[in-house]
Amino acid sequence: MRNKRRNKRLAFHITAVLLLLSFGGATYAHHATASFDMTNSATVKGTVTGFDWTNPHAYIYLDVKDAKGAIEKWSVEMGTIGMLARAGWKRDTVKPGDEITVTGNRARDGKPFLRLIKLAFANGQELTQSVQ
Amino acid sequence: MRNRLILSAAVVVATLALSPASRGQDSAKPGSVPDISGVWQVTKNQPKPFFPNGGAPFKTWGEEKFKAANPETNDPNLGCMPEGIPRFMFVPLPMEIFQVPTRVVIIREGTQVMRQIYMNRKHRDDLYPTYSGDSIGKWDSDTLVVDTIGFNDKTWLDSGGLPHSEALHVVEHIRRVDHDTLVDDVTIEDPMAYTKPFSAQQVYKLKPAWEIQELVCTENNKYTYQGK
Repeated sequence: MRNKRRNKRLAFHITAVLLLLSFGGATYAHHATASFDMTNSATVKGTVTGFDWTNPHAYIYLDVKDAKGAIEKWSVEMGTIGMLARAGWKRDTVKPGDEITVTGNRARDGKPFLRLIKLAFANGQELTQSVQ
Repeated sequence: MRNRLILSAAVVVATLALSPASRGQDSAKPGSVPDISGVWQVTKNQPKPFFPNGGAPFKTWGEEKFKAANPETNDPNLGCMPEGIPRFMFVPLPMEIFQVPTRVVIIREGTQVMRQIYMNRKHRDDLYPTYSGDSIGKWDSDTLVVDTIGFNDKTWLDSGGLPHSEALHVVEHIRRVDHDTLVDDVTIEDPMAYTKPFSAQQVYKLKPAWEIQELVCTENNKYTYQGK
């Protein structure tokens, strides 16, 4: 009985989180999201090389080292800077040299390209695109 | 004395005519129009096609156009082109409504910045095709009824690629159902593309703390519009 209630509560929380992700995290796509795998997420860790604080999308560029030490150049797409600003982002939120971990939806064509879900800094601070 | 009374009455009438209440800023006053001004944000997001794909009553012309539409390659939006009407009303970025006696003006973040709805006039008889068409509005009780014609055929009705011809006729019923909620019931009629009219609804929430931000879509657009 107690477990049942706990499961119910857990299910509710999961649903709430999914709802938040599905709309709160939704960004203006001036293109279709079909080019990204929206059902799975991928996580990469790397060093920031650039940050485009631009419209219609902002971009983070980062160098990611593979197991053999080779560098792969990744880019991460966000929404418009107007919506990012409402979500607490600033033009210098991400700076070259920052060590970051990015979770996002990967491009279906296999390129090292993500649509951002969550950004985590080395100090543990996290950012999403969610606007309340 | 009588002349002075007439003058006073004229001053009162003129003052009322210029007051905010009669300019549609206060729905509580009798004789005024509802206030729909403010910053509004859609509650239904764009990536899902707004009109159900299977539900559109296509004619052959419309169906062929729809089959050729590919959101990844030929969505006019990819090239930062205007959304047109009704898609302008579906963009998941905030819009702000302003009301003056002759017009309802909507500005928004997005590739197409402005929409004008001309109040209490007929459609112009010298229209040529445009992205926004010619929108005319009138108040029917609590509802702003907007009628738009005069479109080009270069836009999609929604992000799913539903097409339209220059014969497109859009009728909207815009109503503030409560302080924080605005509803736009959109009816599409296009005898070239569809066998019968069909409708959809967008719901908006008031965002009092938000201001419309600049959005220059061509600043760093990495997507190429490959349509004609």
